[in-house]
Amino acid sequence: MDERDLINRVRAGDGSAERALYDAHVDRVYRLAYRLAGDDALAQDFTQETFIRAFEKLDTFRGDSALSTWLHTITTTVVLNGLRKVKRFHRREADLEAADGVTGGRRESEPDLKVRLRAAIDALPQGYRTVFVMHDIEGFTHEEIGVALGVETGTSKAQLSRARAKLRESLADFAGEWIA
Amino acid sequence: MMMDNDETKFDQWLQDAAKTYNVPPRPAPREEMWAQIQAERAQGARRIVVRRSWVRWGLAAAAVLLVGIGIGRGTVVPEPETTGSALVYQFAATQYLSRTESFLTGFRADLRAGRVDAFPGQARDLLATTRLLLDSPAADDPRMQSLLEDLELVLVQISQMEAGRDRRNADLITQDMDQRNVLPKLRSAIPAGPVPVRTQGVT
Repeated sequence: MDERDLINRVRAGDGSAERALYDAHVDRVYRLAYRLAGDDALAQDFTQETFIRAFEKLDTFRGDSALSTWLHTITTTVVLNGLRKVKRFHRREADLEAADGVTGGRRESEPDLKVRLRAAIDALPQGYRTVFVMHDIEGFTHEEIGVALGVETGTSKAQLSRARAKLRESLADFAGEWIA
Repeated sequence: MMMDNDETKFDQWLQDAAKTYNVPPRPAPREEMWAQIQAERAQGARRIVVRRSWVRWGLAAAAVLLVGIGIGRGTVVPEPETTGSALVYQFAATQYLSRTESFLTGFRADLRAGRVDAFPGQARDLLATTRLLLDSPAADDPRMQSLLEDLELVLVQISQMEAGRDRRNADLITQDMDQRNVLPKLRSAIPAGPVPVRTQGVT
């Protein structure tokens, strides 16, 4: 079914169309929420909230962008506001001591690299981490990220560049992994 | 220093390695979430991520304690329809905005003079207050929320500068500030007239 038809049917109150729209997009919304939240319960909460808002606001969707882009805008808003409220994300990003902690130490094994990489990504500032996760992990384009986060494409590129620079610094003692 | 070629290799390596970051442990639980969405829409009740409201109000109270020293001794005259709690948050927010405006103005000026060492610590102090205000009724106003979020981003960046050797990041921070019109928006959000009691932080 054409997406425009689907949207029109949802607007007309067709329950099966709502479900079809949900099925078409829920996997990516949930995955993005999980990547940003790192917690299954939160990811479910954020996904549900995203679709509740989307169904409420579908009348305001003008079709200027793809429906998926519009949904991801809602998703990132819901996730970032939600994470702020639960204080998990921001406490980590602002904790310079924790960030310093991931720059030291010595590589011993592959599992340690994963732990260190995770800690280094967690320690990125919110904007950097969001762009990094969306672009380098989830494969969004800078244009899509710009729309979703309400920033210029250039800002998205700059934040990704800074995120990578910080990660290079944090993971410097793993240089052999990528130079080899 | 890392060469460009190494940076490219790192970026390639990073993209592969980062795929392990926050991998969902299972496929999206479609039916479970759909049932919840339907139930909540039927009830007309919106799920709130933080279910225990005491968390929010606790944070809000902490915000007031942090920046609201002097409440009761201030000279703000409430408008007739202004409630007590609204006045408290208005007062706290005004103090915070004034401090932040002084801080960012000083940051820009001292940056030009090459002095940035003291700023990360002060930014962290203000960042804590920013986040408390974001979780308080002060952020119920969409314009205030937007301003606080812009300030949060700027303050996070300043707080993570490394003293004495982060000039490039500092320049990018000021570019961000300019792009977002942070200082003009901040100044226009501060009510005219004397600022209430000045508390901690910026000198």
